[in-house]
Amino acid sequence: MTNILEAKDLTVTFGGLNACDHVDLEVPTGKFVGLIGPNGAGKTTFIDAITGYVPTSAGNAIFDGSDIGELKPHERAQSGLVRTFQSLELFEDLSVRDNLLVAAYPTKWYTFLADMFHLSSKNSEIEERVDWALEIMGLSDASDSMPTDLSHGRRKLVGVARALAAKPKLILLDEPAAGLDTSESQILGGHLREFLNHDMSVFLIDHDMGLVLSVCDYIYVLDFGKIIAAGTPAEIRESSAVKAAYLGEQAGEIQAQEGERMRTQQQGQEAEK
Amino acid sequence: MEALLIALIAGIGAGGLYAMLGSGIVIAFRGSGVINFGHGAVAGYTAYSFDELRETGSLYLPWFDPIPEFGFLKTLKLNNIPVRIDIFDNVAFDNKPNLALTIFICLVMSAFLGLLMHFLVFRPLRNSPILGKVIGSIGVFLYLSSMIVVNFGGQNRGDEGFSGFNNTAEPVRNFLGLGGTIPRSNFYLFGAAILMAVIIWGLYRFTKFGIATRAAEENEKGAALLGYSPQFLAGANWVLASITAGIAGILFLHKTQPAQIALFVVGGLGAALFGNLTSIPGATLGGLFLGMIAGGGVELTTNDWWPEILPGEGVRNFMPLLLIIVVLYLRGDKLPIRGSISIGRQPRAPSTNNVTIGVIGAVGIALMLSNIFVSKWESILTTTLIAIVFMYSLTVLVGFLGQISLVQWSISGLAAYTMIRLMADGTKIRDTDFALNTGWGWPTILAFFGAIVVAVICGLLIGLPALRIRGVQLAVVTIAAVIAIENLLLRNPPLMGDGSVSVNPTPKPSWFGQYVGGFNPDTARNDYWKFSLFLIITAALLGIAVANLRRGQIGRRFLAIRANERAASAAGINVANMKLLGFGISSGIAAIAGCLLAYKLPGLQETQFEVFGGLALLAFVYLGGITTIWGAIVGGCLMAGGLLPEFLGVHFESIDKGLINAVGAIGLIVNAKVTNGEGIALLQTDLVKNTLTALRRPPDDTANTSNDEEAVV
Ligand SMILES: Nc1ncnc2c1ncn2[C@@H]1O[C@H](COP(=O)(O)OP(=O)(O)O)[C@@H](O)[C@H]1O
Ligand SMILES: [Mg+2]
Repeated sequence: MTNILEAKDLTVTFGGLNACDHVDLEVPTGKFVGLIGPNGAGKTTFIDAITGYVPTSAGNAIFDGSDIGELKPHERAQSGLVRTFQSLELFEDLSVRDNLLVAAYPTKWYTFLADMFHLSSKNSEIEERVDWALEIMGLSDASDSMPTDLSHGRRKLVGVARALAAKPKLILLDEPAAGLDTSESQILGGHLREFLNHDMSVFLIDHDMGLVLSVCDYIYVLDFGKIIAAGTPAEIRESSAVKAAYLGEQAGEIQAQEGERMRTQQQGQEAEK
Repeated sequence: MEALLIALIAGIGAGGLYAMLGSGIVIAFRGSGVINFGHGAVAGYTAYSFDELRETGSLYLPWFDPIPEFGFLKTLKLNNIPVRIDIFDNVAFDNKPNLALTIFICLVMSAFLGLLMHFLVFRPLRNSPILGKVIGSIGVFLYLSSMIVVNFGGQNRGDEGFSGFNNTAEPVRNFLGLGGTIPRSNFYLFGAAILMAVIIWGLYRFTKFGIATRAAEENEKGAALLGYSPQFLAGANWVLASITAGIAGILFLHKTQPAQIALFVVGGLGAALFGNLTSIPGATLGGLFLGMIAGGGVELTTNDWWPEILPGEGVRNFMPLLLIIVVLYLRGDKLPIRGSISIGRQPRAPSTNNVTIGVIGAVGIALMLSNIFVSKWESILTTTLIAIVFMYSLTVLVGFLGQISLVQWSISGLAAYTMIRLMADGTKIRDTDFALNTGWGWPTILAFFGAIVVAVICGLLIGLPALRIRGVQLAVVTIAAVIAIENLLLRNPPLMGDGSVSVNPTPKPSWFGQYVGGFNPDTARNDYWKFSLFLIITAALLGIAVANLRRGQIGRRFLAIRANERAASAAGINVANMKLLGFGISSGIAAIAGCLLAYKLPGLQETQFEVFGGLALLAFVYLGGITTIWGAIVGGCLMAGGLLPEFLGVHFESIDKGLINAVGAIGLIVNAKVTNGEGIALLQTDLVKNTLTALRRPPDDTANTSNDEEAVV
């Protein structure tokens, strides 16, 4: 089986802090892979590194069979590696549908001429895809709204829909369920597995353990920038390392505080080095 | 070699001015987070006030009497708002008022200007997006420059300076044994700049006010702990900055003309950036350095081996741009963004549907008008149409793409001059009044497109820095580029022909055998009918093209970049290419406007494409609405020389151009606050739309209407 994405020994350093510390990770083609870990573990940094938003200090990222280390973010996106953002990063001055269209249509250098004469014709395949992305995220009725008129949760779903509209080979979702209300979470959770039927693989970061354990084929656990465990949802549920590092946080206050203390200690040690 | 050293040392004179202006810009930035493009204009207004007070004994307050005095209003004898205060009596050549008192009064005036800027402009705009703040400070520039014209006539003054700053003082000879002479006042200016820097530096270092200002820079709450409100600190720093500007203006008056002082802000900006926008000693050093390399550069151009194609004044005026680019390039990412800056909402940019119908309607009306109008009206119509075409270029670049470029009018100038040069074939165009113009003798259409190509290339080069820097920094680079282009490329006889330093005559333009131009040398009169038609068609087609661009994929991409560059690249947009495309399209449109202006005028004057003209055009398109073609159309009609003021002028009393620009500047600032730059056009389409929907729908359903993105035309 081939892998759509392979991170090998990927390292990102901020000052003295290794936000990603020699991370090895694989996303098999057509599979649903999750990444979990406590706040500040380096999950977002990992996506940033893969998509070219932060420089890596060591390691490679191999996407669809080729090393993408030298590519600019937009080139990676064009090659089918599409991400969402943890925070809202929408195009506020464009309607919801236009937000998706921007990502969906490719342009050539002469597109502006076609635009000026209003000659660019609609591509029915792309339009259908945009309709599908809106529908699957429950946004069909909001198609002509401005993002600012939607609830916070629906705006996050616009971000996911925009990534879907770009026809990704691999979609990287950074905490898409954070800030969603119950009905919005259900829309998202109910459709996530459907993504796989549309020629894409999925890489999901989320805090909602229930969601991650239920939708993923395989899960990696990140703590202090290091992969501390990996396995199927069943294995992760049982792993003691995961419990200590992450599930403990949810299990009880005391353990969470301990985790916090350990983290500050480690950061202190990092700083001393 | 020695001449070069002397020139470098003499450069501390102009360097002193740059240093003082740069320090003032730093003060204002530290206090409020705003880079004030109008800082030089404050100096200029104070310099004029000083000269006027010394020569006539009258002080002019920085406003105009808004109650018109024409027609029947004259007979009402309204108690008008005071503008002129007669302070000293019996002022004569040999009885000038007391110097210290005069300076003091003028500095009070500067302080007052600072307060006005704080309370009327920058405090209200403190939560606006960066574009709004830049526009606010351009409004200050434009307003004060216009008030200089309105209150002082804007003419050059012959002030000789006073005591050590006297023009006629014995120069310093053989300084350090280098031979040559250096004006004595250069050393005084240098001393004044150093003294000012030391005082301000001490003020920030050792007084409670200074410490609070530094605290507020980090974090506005910090200042509150020291017992100062951030807004008080901002106001106090505006006053301080303005006083330093006033001092600079008064001290430098004998060296230059007050009308020019406003433009020295470009050197001041270079100095301030050299000081990282926060360091007074840094800004002072930067200013002195800039003055020296400018002086040295000019000295180099006097050598035999120096290529004639780079004129001395051009080199001098290129230096600020060079310094700014180098500083921004070296540490563009690390320049401070002051704590409180909030990225406010951008103006909406709805796509204009029904655009074709609307434009065709407008064309129809314009055509009708042009047929009815007598020849004077046709001239006004063509002025308006050319302005509209130019404003489209700003709609694309500033409105859609969000790149604040102040240089597009210079691109127009470059295209106009290039076109003339390409068309000219050495025949004398007029018998007496214009110089012979040599060139390549290209046919009209070829020269037109050749000029556009040149202008687009230049526009792309200017767009290159935009790939690294954004927001207000781009505005700084582009305003410096205006001065550089004007002096290096336009006023350049080897490059642009002998007329480029006085009047550059336009050869007869003819498209497909038809004469399209204002003044026809064959008939020796203004010949507008065909030209009007030509312009109407051009303006309409370009308007449709720009509106289509907004509706199309590229328009969406531009808006995406304006909203969020990070997200745009995640959506697969090549941000760098799109920005260059925006600069290219905008420069192409600006170039067309420039060529059309050359068609209209019998000859291009050197002053046509100065900073001021470009900023006035920006002001009016912003007032009309920067994000839609309708804004450009409204802006073109409102601006000085456009349909509305000229209509008033013909039917009531003609209105001073300076006054129109001043009113435009006020409108600009108000518009930045009230509509966030969406302008009159969008304001009234909203009004129409809301009225229509209110009429159409039952009242309880109105909540949804704001979602409707389409503009009703
Ligand atoms: N641009 C940055 N500069 C410095 N440190 C950063 C930067 N981005 C993230 N970090 C640090 O890297 C660590 C990982 O952050 P992040 O990837 O956002 O974690 P997560 O997404 O898992 O919550 C954190 O300690 C964070 O403070
Ligand atoms: Mg994160």
